[in-house]
Amino acid sequence: MPFADNSPDPLDRYSRQMRFPALGEDGQRKLAASRVTICGCGALGTVLANHLVRAGVGFVRIVDRDFIETHNLQRQILFDETDVAENLPKAEAAARKLRLINSQVQIEAVVTDIDHSNILDLVSDADLILDGTDNFETRYLINDVAVKLNKPWIFGGVIGSEGQTMTIRPGVTPCLRCVIESSPPPGMSPTCETAGVLGPAVSVIASFEAVEAIKLLAGKLDALNTELIMVDLWNWSFRRLKIAALKGKVDCPACERRQFSWLEGEFGSHTTTLCGRNAVQVAVRRGEPLRFGELADRLRPLGEVRHNAYMLKFTTEGYEFTVFPDGRAIIKGTNEIARARSLYAQFIGN
Amino acid sequence: MPTVLIPTPLRPHANGLDKVEGQGETVGIVLADVLSQHPALRKRLFDGEDLRRFVNVYVNNEDIRFLDDLQTAVQPDDEISIIPAIAGG
Repeated sequence: MPFADNSPDPLDRYSRQMRFPALGEDGQRKLAASRVTICGCGALGTVLANHLVRAGVGFVRIVDRDFIETHNLQRQILFDETDVAENLPKAEAAARKLRLINSQVQIEAVVTDIDHSNILDLVSDADLILDGTDNFETRYLINDVAVKLNKPWIFGGVIGSEGQTMTIRPGVTPCLRCVIESSPPPGMSPTCETAGVLGPAVSVIASFEAVEAIKLLAGKLDALNTELIMVDLWNWSFRRLKIAALKGKVDCPACERRQFSWLEGEFGSHTTTLCGRNAVQVAVRRGEPLRFGELADRLRPLGEVRHNAYMLKFTTEGYEFTVFPDGRAIIKGTNEIARARSLYAQFIGN
Repeated sequence: MPTVLIPTPLRPHANGLDKVEGQGETVGIVLADVLSQHPALRKRLFDGEDLRRFVNVYVNNEDIRFLDDLQTAVQPDDEISIIPAIAGG
């Protein structure tokens, strides 16, 4: 006897997730009708994209400026050694894997450096923006565009065994600038390159972001996180810092005064290719002079460092950084702006 | 005595300690006592008399900006946390 109907219901593959009562079939249908943009596809971004594509979010845009390197494989879960050998951009390699995982989801790979000139195009049609970046410059830019367009976004950051996350709904919760008024100036805070990072710590924070994304897209707003979550996996600490009361209490430039200095290109780094020199200048406009001594201590295990009062020279992985006290750096060994900005974020920090 | 929790990036400037006790009835006085024990922390936390804009301080789990800032009263068993912004990912 032939089956009367052997065409599978497209929702079948989500049966275990739909059976979870708080989500249900209604929530699943909303996920299928949703669109997200994931900014950055490194450690956080691969875990986020993996969860959201498997969960059946209808459209996933993955934006990243980098190519895959062997030292990424320890924590960037969608990549393998073949991708390194083929020299694939992260966004493209992730999209290829994810299409094999779930062909029902529309996946768009965008290989670009997110900045104030292109972010509107990348997020305008999304219901939610997800943070898979490794620097505060891009996060403040995401925050500006999200507040301006009244779109939710989810912040996540990880170093070592520690991570933070918060869910930002403009008009409802405090925004990133309400809670973290400004990030440490370049060179003053550790990065994954200088302080290291554990894969499981990234997975935990990205998974918090992913579950918040699922709640938000499925319309389960009452279940959302309203606190700044801080986790340290090595020491088993889990803290929930109360931030809801900051909304409207702080004179936030973004959500109270609606000044979008990052989106308007007034804040943030400015890059110039130095023609014929295989070098790019990255200028980060911050008020405070760099502390060469501290930066040198962090960089010394990673390459050769020399400095005097006027400049710091650092050589690693075939690149030579010349860093000036005002935060400006000339990075020799590439003439690609995106690569230089990525190296700056990884080694100096912004 | 109230305890000040030192975040990982600042521990090298506090002899590697993850917490330091400080004497005082307000957040500002306790922090001043901790800074007198570990002077290298000062320029990382303060710009003159004010906390640096990228330094967030919590008493137990509440941001001092919606309590009384540095004048926030503390009890002997309170925990004061310095919360760094975590950049990586």
